Amino acid sequence: MPARDFGSRRLTVELTNICNLHCSYCLRDEDALYHTPANFLLPEFLESIIKQAKEVIGIDHVAFTGGEPTLHPQFDQILAVVSTNGLKTSFVTNGWNFQKIWPTLAAHRDVITHAAFSLDGVTREEHDKWRGDGSFVRIVRAFSLCFAGDLPFLIKVGIRRDTFERLEQFALFAARMRAAGLNFGHVMPTSPEVEESSALNLDERRGAEQEVANLARIFKMKIGMDVGYHNVNPAPACSALAGYSCNVDYQGRLSLCCNLSGFRGAIGEEDVAADLRIQDFARAYAALSIIAREKVTARQTRLHDLTTHELPVDLYSASPCLFCLDTSGKLPWRHSATESPMSSRSLPVLGAVG
Amino acid sequence: MHSLKLTPVNDIIYTDFDEAEGILVDLNTKQYYRLNETGSLIWRGLEKGNTVDEIVSQMQAAYEVSADHARASVEELLTNLESNKLVKRL
Repeated sequence: MPARDFGSRRLTVELTNICNLHCSYCLRDEDALYHTPANFLLPEFLESIIKQAKEVIGIDHVAFTGGEPTLHPQFDQILAVVSTNGLKTSFVTNGWNFQKIWPTLAAHRDVITHAAFSLDGVTREEHDKWRGDGSFVRIVRAFSLCFAGDLPFLIKVGIRRDTFERLEQFALFAARMRAAGLNFGHVMPTSPEVEESSALNLDERRGAEQEVANLARIFKMKIGMDVGYHNVNPAPACSALAGYSCNVDYQGRLSLCCNLSGFRGAIGEEDVAADLRIQDFARAYAALSIIAREKVTARQTRLHDLTTHELPVDLYSASPCLFCLDTSGKLPWRHSATESPMSSRSLPVLGAVG
Repeated sequence: MHSLKLTPVNDIIYTDFDEAEGILVDLNTKQYYRLNETGSLIWRGLEKGNTVDEIVSQMQAAYEVSADHARASVEELLTNLESNKLVKRL
């Protein structure tokens, strides 16, 4: 099987911890989002990280996230840093501030590859139910600006109980809004309540993933799944585990990926390698590579054990994201008070046969 | 048409673009429309509930054109908007 193409090497950077919306399924820690003073990554610090990352791993792209990255008061300087260092950038956003920051985006248009908008519904009612009154109109205005300003945009949709039977509607809407692409991603289980009310079971997930594959075949627009889909290939399942991407959180710490970072309800931070405020990138990245290798090995062992013992592949083994979450202390509610999250690596004890 | 009032149809979203121009999205048809500077002025007048006469006056004031010229421009756009089902008569 040919090696998977993870694209060029890149950095994901959380520009801030805060967000202006309150989506209940958000995977970021609530305290960090709403009850902690706003922290904005300084342009000078970002420049230092970018220069080192370019030298050490040859990044050519920086993707901004958060919180809500467009809340950064120096967003203009942030884009300027990317530009002066010869990189390209993109960012994910809820679209609320997009009209306000449009002049900044237009001024740096040459370094922005695309914007990615999170969408929860194809009508005002559906989208605003999750994101608050007025959100849908603002995001459509953002699409308009991208369309008129020739800035490619992606739409990102969470696959949840209320969306998984309407994926085609999202695809039609995205295509007609002239999106360059549509990415679906399974909602992350930040609590038992979210898992119960919003997340799909294994069979439903596979059904949704098949539908995404069908839509990708039918539509001209690029349609895909964010990593986290059913994948029992033991090779590194994502760009982070394969060493093609890494994450810098809003505190300046180097970590594995933006899905694990600051995960809501987590008790573990095994995904964090080092604090770049006190550690140089080269050493931090070496530590991160060890974390990635350990995760890959742990999953390979799990999948191998399941195959050897002819056991069905459960949801938390089948999805690389859920495996990483489960074995990194991010889902403490899945484990009893006395059970270590790491014991999810062990298999049920089999009795003697015969 | 002089004291006529037309109003944007439901589910049309207008966005200012590049200071003077504008973009319309018809969420019924998912169609985009681009408005030039004068088109944006007219649309904003419609959104405020102005009559055709009032919009013509605004255009005259903004562009120092004759009343006839302003009226012809306004009526041409309004006919266009109406035929594309973006506005309706009150």
